[in-house]
This record gives sequence, structure tokens and C-alpha cells, in this order.
Amino acid sequence: MPQIEIGYKPAQAMARVILQNGEQFRAESGAMVGMSTNVNMETGSTGGIMKGLKRMFGGESFFQNTFTAQGGPGEVLLAHTLSGDIVSLPMTPNGYFIQSSSYIGGDPWVNIETKVGGFKSFFAGEGVFVLKATAQQEGQVLVGAFGGIQEIQCDGNMVIDTGHLVAWDTTLEYSVGKSGSGWLASFLSGEGLVCHFTGQGRIWIQTRNPQEFGSMVGRMLPPREN
Amino acid sequence: MDQHPQPQAPAPQQQAPAPQGQPAPGAALAQPMQTAAPLTHEITHGPSFAMLRVDLQPGQKVVAEAGAMVARHNNVEMEVKMNAGSRAGFFAKVKAFFIAMIRKIVGGETFFVNHFTSPQGPGSVWVAPTLSGTVAHRRMQGETITLSTGAYLASSGDFEMKMKFGGFKSLLAKEGAFFIQITGHGDLWFNSYGGVHAVDINGPFMVDNGHLVGFEGNVTFSIKSAGGGAMGFLASGEGLVVQFEGQGRVYLQSRNIGSLVGWLTPLLPR
Repeated sequence: MPQIEIGYKPAQAMARVILQNGEQFRAESGAMVGMSTNVNMETGSTGGIMKGLKRMFGGESFFQNTFTAQGGPGEVLLAHTLSGDIVSLPMTPNGYFIQSSSYIGGDPWVNIETKVGGFKSFFAGEGVFVLKATAQQEGQVLVGAFGGIQEIQCDGNMVIDTGHLVAWDTTLEYSVGKSGSGWLASFLSGEGLVCHFTGQGRIWIQTRNPQEFGSMVGRMLPPREN
Repeated sequence: MDQHPQPQAPAPQQQAPAPQGQPAPGAALAQPMQTAAPLTHEITHGPSFAMLRVDLQPGQKVVAEAGAMVARHNNVEMEVKMNAGSRAGFFAKVKAFFIAMIRKIVGGETFFVNHFTSPQGPGSVWVAPTLSGTVAHRRMQGETITLSTGAYLASSGDFEMKMKFGGFKSLLAKEGAFFIQITGHGDLWFNSYGGVHAVDINGPFMVDNGHLVGFEGNVTFSIKSAGGGAMGFLASGEGLVVQFEGQGRVYLQSRNIGSLVGWLTPLLPR
């Protein structure tokens, strides 16, 4: 299993994946910052075309890159788009649900499946597109955040703004719904959609909301021409 | 940089006679305080991406800017209200409602707030601002602080909040048309884009409108164009500035959303 060092925490984190000869790591296309010359990058739609299409629907890229160190050790540097932290989650028997835009990469034997969060989230534009990461053995998966990452223990019930979700244990039940008692209250409260969690498990949240930031800056920009 | 007190530190003006525009000293203390014990709270992930966690006991309440909630325990109840203050009269409420609706439509701070309580037992609520930056905590003991509308994050205690219109000139600027004047006792949290820099002023002091977070003390202000006249407004690149007079404390932020938008706009595809 490759060793991962994360530098420039917490505001501008970058992951350094150190590969021994023959070791592999898989990452989201576009996440690569740099790599050793003896690392071979292979682009593929992991799991076949259908899985690739499904991933694309989930807001992920169609392709994933697999990095392999050849003829000696090498390293790959990976980063997230927005300013913020990166953490490496060690795989558990149950696995994780990961908000699709938070996924950066993982060991090649970590299976990544797309879960569509339902029509409610689809229409709200706050795509709760969720990836399910599972592995039959030890492994790790890298997730990135907009802002800091905070682990919250859920003992029973938690309500999290969908835009602040990064990942959670699959032991938790979750459902997406409105934040307030009625639709008007939800609209005025400005909270949009929230995720209701029940059960026992850990939730990782990001301290900033990418959609909220985007729409705040976006509405100050001039309208698009076409 | 010798003037760099922490925002959390009590302002030196507190010992001074009551700043203007404040109710008679002790008026709000005549009745026992509604929230006897201060809330436990923690600000984490500062200075770049600060987030506030407030731990509520039954009977305690925290009010937060609409949309600021990150997470809460399920037993924490949330109720949306218009931010007009508990003792606001009918006219003030109507005014607050109109400002709230305008801002909801135009964009920016809504001036609707969410009230969080935890009547069934202890519970926590996490809140965070939209932009990267700091969350500053201010323990208020009857003072008045005026914040730019985007700067208010949350409060807990006995506060009177009033919307202040910055004048017609301020409408030219994208931000800073409204201020929130907050008076009372309790905990107040405000946020900034970038770091918060507190400057103790004694005499005139000028701040770029987009960098202003708030001010307190015995100060007056006027909004003007930086270079003087229309030409100065266009040429200096500073847009509008806020000219302060008096003794007090001014809070600045090290980044300006108007500048970010100004930088980004020419880079957009046509």
C-alpha cells in the first residue's frame, strides 16, 4: 500500500503518494499536480463504459487515471480544485459514502460505485451525488474539502447541510430533505437541502460550501453572453 | 503593525463614557439576564476557513444568519425569523421586512435569521460564513457595534438589532448599502473575508468600503469617493471609502469581494 503524505494543510493541501516499484494508485482525472518520470499514467474508464457513464452522471469525470511506478520507486502529487484540506481515510469493512466532488483518489482495489441521491437533490442543483467506496482489504481513499475538514461523531441523529458534506460511514442511514418545517420556512431559512443521518458513525464535513460560494460570486459577475 | 489588538480583546473604549447612540447605562441590566451562563462555543479551522460550534443547553438560544448552518444535532430545533429585534415596534418590523425582501431578491444577506434552541437536552449547532476567512468573537456588555451586513454571523443574548441605511451614495457600491447596528449583552460572532484587523482610532481614519467589517465606540462616519469627485471615484481604483471620525475601534478585513469579482470578470469567456 503506498505511503501518503499530505502537506500544505489545512488551507492549500496537497497529497504526495509514494509508490514502490510496481505499486499503483488511482485518481480523479485532473487531480494530478506532478509525478516522477518513471510513473506511468493510464487513463481509463474504470469498470467499463457503463460505469463510466454512471460516474459522469454523478458529477464525476468519466475517466480515472491509474498511476503505476515502473522500474523503481516514484511519486505522484495530487490536489483538489478549491482551497482546503485533504484527508486520507483508511478503508473499513463497511466502507464510506463520499460526496462525489470530494473524491480525489484511492488504492486501485477500492471499488467506487455511484449512488444517485434522488430527484429531490437533482432538481435542487445541490447534487447529493454520492459515491460508495468499499474494499475487501486494507486500503485508503483520499478526500478533499473546500475549507477545513471536521470529523463529527453521529450518536443517533444529525442534520447536515448537503453542501458541507464530505464523507460518512456507511453504517449511517441518510435521507435528503428540506431543512425547515415547511417549504417557505426552508426557503427563507436559506438552508436549502439538508441530509438527515441516523445511527452510529462518523461524518466528515467541510467548513465551506462550494455552491454557496459559487452562487455568491456568480451573481456579482456579468451575465453570460449566450 | 503596532496597532494589532485581537478582535476578541475588550475594546479600550469600554471604560470610556457610553458611546453615543447607546441606551442609558444599566437600562438593559435592570431585569435579570435571560441567559445567565455564557454558552460554550469553539471557533475552529481559523484563520482561513473558520467555523463556529455552539453547545446549547435547554433554555439557551443562538441566532445565526440565514444559510450559515453547517450541521446540528437533530434535537436542536431551528426556526426562521425576521431579524427585527424583540422590542422592535410595528414600523421597525415593516421596515425590516421590506429590507429583508429586497435583499432576498437582490442577493446578499437576507436579514432572515434562524433561531436555534435545544429544549429536549444538550445539542450543538455548527455555523460557518460563505467566504474564506475568520470568525471573531465579541463578548458584549451593553456596547453598540455596527457591522457591514455581510459581517454578522451569529449571536446569543439580549440584543437589539437595527438596520441602518448607509445613504444614497452607498447604493453605488455593491456592498455597504446597509449596516446592522447591534446593542446589548451576550456573545456576538462576526466574520470576515480574509483576516480581521482591528484598528483603534483617535481622529480621522479612512477605510475602503469593501474592506470594512464594522466599528464601535464614539465614532461617526461618512461615505465618499476616495479620490474626490467622479474622476477620483473612477481613477483611484478604490471606489467608495468610509471616512471615520472620533474615538473607537474599526474592524477591517484583509480581502474584498468586490476586488475578487473585478479580477474575475474580464477572465470570463465571451
